Amino acid sequence: MKKILLIIKREYLTRVKKRTFIISTILFPLLYLGLIFGTSYIAATSGTNLKVAVIDSSGFFDKGKIERENQRDSSSVLTVVDFNADSLKNNFKNWGYDGYIIIPANLDWEKGVRNLSMTTGRTISTDGAAPVQYKLNRIWTSIKNEKLGIDDHKKNIIETSIISIVPKNFNDTKANSDIAGRIGYLAGILIYIILLLYGSQVMMGVMEEKTNRIAEVIISSVKPFQLMLGKIIGIGLVALTQFFLWIAFMTLIYNITKASGGGNQTVSVIVGGVQDTFTSINVPLILFCFIFYLLGGFFFYSSLYAAIGSSVNEDMREAQSLSLPVTMLVIISIAIMSAIMRDPTSPLAVWSSIIPFSSPIIMMARIPFGVPATVPWWQLAASMGALIAGFIFTTWFAGKIYRTGILMYGKKPSWKEMMKWAFRKS
Amino acid sequence: MPLLELQHLRKYFATQKAVDDISFSIDAGQIFGLLGPNGAGKTTLIRMITGIFYPDEGQIIFNGKKFDPQNDIAHIGYMPEERGLYKKMKIGEQTTYLAQLKGLSKADATKKIKEWFIKFDMNTWWNKKVEDLSKGMSQKLQFVTTVLHDPKLIILDEPFSGLDPVNTNLIKDEIYALAKKGATVIFSTHRMEQVEEICDHIVLVNKGTKILDGTVNKIKQDFKENLFSIGVDQIPPSLNGTAPFEVVGNEDLAYVVRITGNNKPNDVLNYLLQRGVNIRSFNEILPSLNDIFIRLVKGTPVSRQFQNVNS
Repeated sequence: MKKILLIIKREYLTRVKKRTFIISTILFPLLYLGLIFGTSYIAATSGTNLKVAVIDSSGFFDKGKIERENQRDSSSVLTVVDFNADSLKNNFKNWGYDGYIIIPANLDWEKGVRNLSMTTGRTISTDGAAPVQYKLNRIWTSIKNEKLGIDDHKKNIIETSIISIVPKNFNDTKANSDIAGRIGYLAGILIYIILLLYGSQVMMGVMEEKTNRIAEVIISSVKPFQLMLGKIIGIGLVALTQFFLWIAFMTLIYNITKASGGGNQTVSVIVGGVQDTFTSINVPLILFCFIFYLLGGFFFYSSLYAAIGSSVNEDMREAQSLSLPVTMLVIISIAIMSAIMRDPTSPLAVWSSIIPFSSPIIMMARIPFGVPATVPWWQLAASMGALIAGFIFTTWFAGKIYRTGILMYGKKPSWKEMMKWAFRKS
Repeated sequence: MPLLELQHLRKYFATQKAVDDISFSIDAGQIFGLLGPNGAGKTTLIRMITGIFYPDEGQIIFNGKKFDPQNDIAHIGYMPEERGLYKKMKIGEQTTYLAQLKGLSKADATKKIKEWFIKFDMNTWWNKKVEDLSKGMSQKLQFVTTVLHDPKLIILDEPFSGLDPVNTNLIKDEIYALAKKGATVIFSTHRMEQVEEICDHIVLVNKGTKILDGTVNKIKQDFKENLFSIGVDQIPPSLNGTAPFEVVGNEDLAYVVRITGNNKPNDVLNYLLQRGVNIRSFNEILPSLNDIFIRLVKGTPVSRQFQNVNS
């Protein structure tokens, strides 16, 4: 026992003291924040405002209406011009326009027109042209309203009375499926990243010991199983440390932005969103389950990665080809997760959240939708029990392969040979 | 009392009878040579002694009791042929870690490491990493990590490979010193001249079985071929069967002869003296361990063949 602790300590300390760990711990939250602020900032400021000339042959679009709309919404500028089409075509760039639209003379206000071309000198996507389309349609609607005799009061009635559907589970009145979905997705992705990242760290660590030929020195002092377990637990603790540091960082940054960014609209929207999230979900339960599934999934997969690492030699490609089936299981879980987010109570969701190979990701994606409303207690218990049984089995199984593999040099073993190592008598 | 006793050890793998009924015992304080060609089963044997493998059959008696890997490995220091250290770990930390795995407390480990580092002139290494060391330097470090916890039994597999003569002597002297202090050393190698120099007792294994067991001197006596080197200018030609020897070789200024029949060396000398031959020197030629080794394993295929094992 004391020896396992020593091994855990070494595995933990050598990794935590590494520069890459410190950098990734600090960098990830910064990148994450940069992503949030960056995208909203870019979305708010980028996209050049199109300046479009309009030749109105129909007579519907008078300058006054267009001016009013230009003032209300500056994401594009429309200008009614009197030039003829040919001179506009040749000169619109020189005159400072991005493009022009010719409204045909035979425009019928009751039928409208399906497509109007906006001629431009460069390619503009449908998204890019959307502000122009939106503005023209608003003007067009107001023209139709006038023709139909709909005044502002009637218009208000038409526009403001709409019906929207909000899903509400009567078992769980606090549940907010939108936020739940986002939290579930985030939790699933985080576990996915940690499984792959730290699972391969375990594999590399075992390979390092094997290729450095220190394995035999160590296992003349400790049992191979102790060495494997110590490594897995040590690296698991590194993953947990990193996770907690991220949480601490996020909380810190959140509090700073909350305190300092009161005036900024973007910041207060984000701050408000975070507050909503925390009041609408069961934070202690989710955190507990997250740590449980993170560690459970990690033990389940990393022992398989350890077995693979012990079976191969220096060649990274051998390791990759042998670990592909294991990695595929993790990737399949993520694919299932996107499928079950729409209906977290479907049979697929229930079963894949109980079977250990996918449960760490799938169950974590389902839990934010509510326990016991979406995930009944028995499912949670079955899933946790299966995961514990699962990782006890994989560690035992991997330990058998590891014991033989760590001292084997030479050709890469096949999965069949590794099975033989696992099931033969000791 | 023997420190280590192997009784009818057997270990079969899928395609190899790696160790097939080997028994021998090693006395405390002895320097013991475990010899054998590549693939003879030495490493498997050593791995059973270090508790890495369990024997299929037979038992190991360590220090008078049945070998209990859990506790006894703390008294064994093993330097495998395929040795290595963590490349990226600082040398001081790494040595402490390995010593702690052998059951030393951190304070004891640090104290002992400092002593050894001073002895081997490695003081400046503490905060360096193994990747900064040359092969010979890391070999020395490996030796220190092997003997640091004062093991009763030290197992060294090819300890001198990659060492220059100066460092070889340094380690050799340490091995003698440790044996003098009571440690038992198992020394596994192919380098016969080192075995002759260092070992008291040897065992030769081939194809998983023991084919030779005894002290170096006794084995040499057992395998001697009654060859003598005689320093004379000329051996009288008129021999026609009366001479108690036959000439088998002729080096510069000396003849190599084999004594025939039941004759003794004195008979040879008498024969030559009677004929007035001027003898400058007369030496018995004992076979080198190298010759014995080659003679014994000759005829077995150079590399070990795969076989079917029905155990």
